[in-house]
Amino acid sequence: MFKPESARSLSITAIAMIMALIATGCAESTREGGGGDPNESQPLVFAGAGDPRSVDPVLANDGETFRVTRQIYDTLLTHEPGGTKIVGGLAESWEQSDDGTEWTFKLRDGVKFHDGEALDAEAVCANFNRWYNFTGNYQNSNQTYYWQKTFGGFAENEDKDTPEANFSSCSAPEELTAVIKVEEPSANYPGAFSLASFGIMSPKVIEKVTDEKVTGDPGSPVLPDYSQEAGTVAGTGPYRLVDWDHDAQEVTLERFDDYWGEKAKVKTLIVKTISEEAARKQALEAGDIHGYDLVAPADVEPLKQAGFRVPVRDVFNILYLAYQQETSEELADRKVRQAIAHAVDRQRIVDTILPEGGKVARQFIPETVEGWSPDVTTYDFDPEKAKSLLKEAGQADLEIDMCFPTEVTRPYMPAPQDIFDIIKADLEAVGITVTANSMPWGDYIPYTDSGGCSLYLLGWTGDFNEAFNFLGTWFDGYDSGWGFRNDELFALMDEVSSVPDQERRTKLYQEVNREIMDYLPGLPISHSPPSIAFAPNVNPPAVSPLTQENFSEASFK
Amino acid sequence: MLRFIVRRTLQLVPTLVGLSVLLFFWLRQLPGGPEYALLGEDATPEQRAALRRALGLDDPLIVQYWRFVTRLAEGDLGTSLQTGRPVLDEFALRFPATAELAISAIVIAVGIGIPLGYLAARRRGGVLDSAVVGGSLIGICTPVFFLAFVLKVIFAEHLGWFPSAFRQTPGFSATRITGFFVLDGLMTREWDSAWDAITHLALPGLALSSIPLAVIVRMTRASVLEVLAEDYVRTAEAKGLHRHVVRTRHVLRNAMLPVTTAIGLQTGALFAGAVLTESVFAFGGIGSFVYASTQTRDYPALLGFILIIACMYVLINLLVDISYSLLDPRVRVS
Repeated sequence: MFKPESARSLSITAIAMIMALIATGCAESTREGGGGDPNESQPLVFAGAGDPRSVDPVLANDGETFRVTRQIYDTLLTHEPGGTKIVGGLAESWEQSDDGTEWTFKLRDGVKFHDGEALDAEAVCANFNRWYNFTGNYQNSNQTYYWQKTFGGFAENEDKDTPEANFSSCSAPEELTAVIKVEEPSANYPGAFSLASFGIMSPKVIEKVTDEKVTGDPGSPVLPDYSQEAGTVAGTGPYRLVDWDHDAQEVTLERFDDYWGEKAKVKTLIVKTISEEAARKQALEAGDIHGYDLVAPADVEPLKQAGFRVPVRDVFNILYLAYQQETSEELADRKVRQAIAHAVDRQRIVDTILPEGGKVARQFIPETVEGWSPDVTTYDFDPEKAKSLLKEAGQADLEIDMCFPTEVTRPYMPAPQDIFDIIKADLEAVGITVTANSMPWGDYIPYTDSGGCSLYLLGWTGDFNEAFNFLGTWFDGYDSGWGFRNDELFALMDEVSSVPDQERRTKLYQEVNREIMDYLPGLPISHSPPSIAFAPNVNPPAVSPLTQENFSEASFK
Repeated sequence: MLRFIVRRTLQLVPTLVGLSVLLFFWLRQLPGGPEYALLGEDATPEQRAALRRALGLDDPLIVQYWRFVTRLAEGDLGTSLQTGRPVLDEFALRFPATAELAISAIVIAVGIGIPLGYLAARRRGGVLDSAVVGGSLIGICTPVFFLAFVLKVIFAEHLGWFPSAFRQTPGFSATRITGFFVLDGLMTREWDSAWDAITHLALPGLALSSIPLAVIVRMTRASVLEVLAEDYVRTAEAKGLHRHVVRTRHVLRNAMLPVTTAIGLQTGALFAGAVLTESVFAFGGIGSFVYASTQTRDYPALLGFILIIACMYVLINLLVDISYSLLDPRVRVS
């Protein structure tokens, strides 16, 4: 029953509450640390764009998860801080057999897991054997994406589309020597041993979670409890996981005092989720967080002006304009492909749309990747040349459709619509009529994959420093998205993918890159550094081209 | 009364069945699918095919729908493909954020709106009345999203009075019981936690309350004016009844009828507004999750969330009707 008295008291209470709030203005923000050393007394709060999926990294394939798990686990190999060179992680040194099927890792001595266990070769093998022996829903390509991508399938494959297992065995001939054997040499190694997905977990934890299943029927697999909470998992990383508050969308990590390397400078690290870019920026400006990732290129300069620290990552991705030669016959003519390449002012895209540090791409891999070739055919911006090439090809008034995705930013493509606008204007300047076709990301990939677009924008961010990780994504055989067959190129790719010798592989990659840029299946446009921002009172960690920042290096001033 | 409630509740069933059929088939006809959203740009066609098969997306639609219904009958809404957690758990996690926001907005709107509307009507044509009528017009016309943004820039970024994001200060390791942070704080006597949650609610709550506040003020004002002109009010005054009794028992109670309906309808609309407000304040409720689910074609999550929200919407309307009939015996269906 409604009583006006209650309305009155309610309204008085509400008004009083608001007045009190405004009067006291007592929002405790992260700006107010306690006394003493801020590194000990206040948490470093960093915002990502999405929730992690699991604290067991083998079950994930996304950067938001790896941002968290990289602090908790170490991998056998890793990349040098701020660079792309593969260096030892838990392994001090490593070597491969001549035929590339046997990898021997000499492990660091004195490494401890967060649960007190010691790292030895048995522990490493316990991890690899666990992954290799996954059954049931674990074999779903969504659950163990990177395992299947780099080591193939499992001891017992349960689905006909699961790739053959390339992992063969892991053994521990000595306490600190682990030997991993694979069936065939592959360009995925040694890079795969540096993937965040293969963080090494304590053998005691593995014992505990061995019987944990991805439950539910195949159509709705439920990740196991241990992967969704703190308390079970333990790695050897600089931070241990102390809490995952799903309600507040935050993961709390605490310094691991027995870490084998340099101890974390900040005692507590909190990783939060803020899905909207603008909200991330404002939270940093308001002092509610101390850093965030995926800064919009347009925000980089204003943030710097305001005193924030926006260190530039080196580039490790590629944006390209793909030519679909199967459904658009005009593009099967190399002259037309070259004409489009000469028509597009890629420098203007880099200058006007990409953040500082962006570069024009001359081939399909960034310069920092081994196998980059200094002498590929280049296609300078030359509208006159473009026009004459079109004329020669009998396509002076070419009409073509071009696709770009909406409602999405990718690290290599910060503003798809703006990039499209520039390309469209450039193409129309040489007499090509462009029909725009845009769609959301979820529709875009299948549509472009099936040959629905003549020209389309797409790209790729590398997982590790190996050219095959880029080139193999597109050119190791016929791909319906490109719709061309170039047997010479496919044969070269096939050869290079199974050459164990890194030096020879690098030479072959250079040849592949020359072949690709002569043939011109698409136009490499740019490499863009994904930006990351920090508060003025934070010393940022070394920023990594592979977005593998090690937060133990960060500190408050 | 009981029969009325039972009948209205039973009407829910066909509504929801129809909705689930429509939703299910509409979602499935969208181009693309989770095998594209969940696997990277470099996944092979085999990997995508294997995932489709594993998720049962290759079966005939009718089979898939039947599977969904039989699961639903057991109270299982399936699993979110995005997070790998049961849809019901995800909803239970995110709903309190949105609900807390909506409730705080309604509390602000009712607490301020009814007294203001009443006062404006009593002093018709006065300064307060003009201010209320003008202000409510601005309130109705201002998009919640924009207002949220303005409030945030002024009170969080420039003045620093309130936090600009989240439901609680990061690192506030409070005990979670219901997921309603304010309530949890009060239940566990963690007063600082409750207070912290309230300060985080202040700006988004205020922003979200703008439209319902404006509607409630205008409704109350109009309704009170109408009742004041009624014969029985004059009669009551002529009888020499105390002014207080006339105002409360005769005027306010009768004037509240249309206002109650407005409050109920506003509550439904609030959830839509809450979605936008959440995104401005990184509140992490239902809105951002549903948006992400559409992006990844997370069929189970989308279906589950929308069905639950639809259920709630219908239930809120039912509650409004019931409270209406309690307030006004004439409404009761014989």
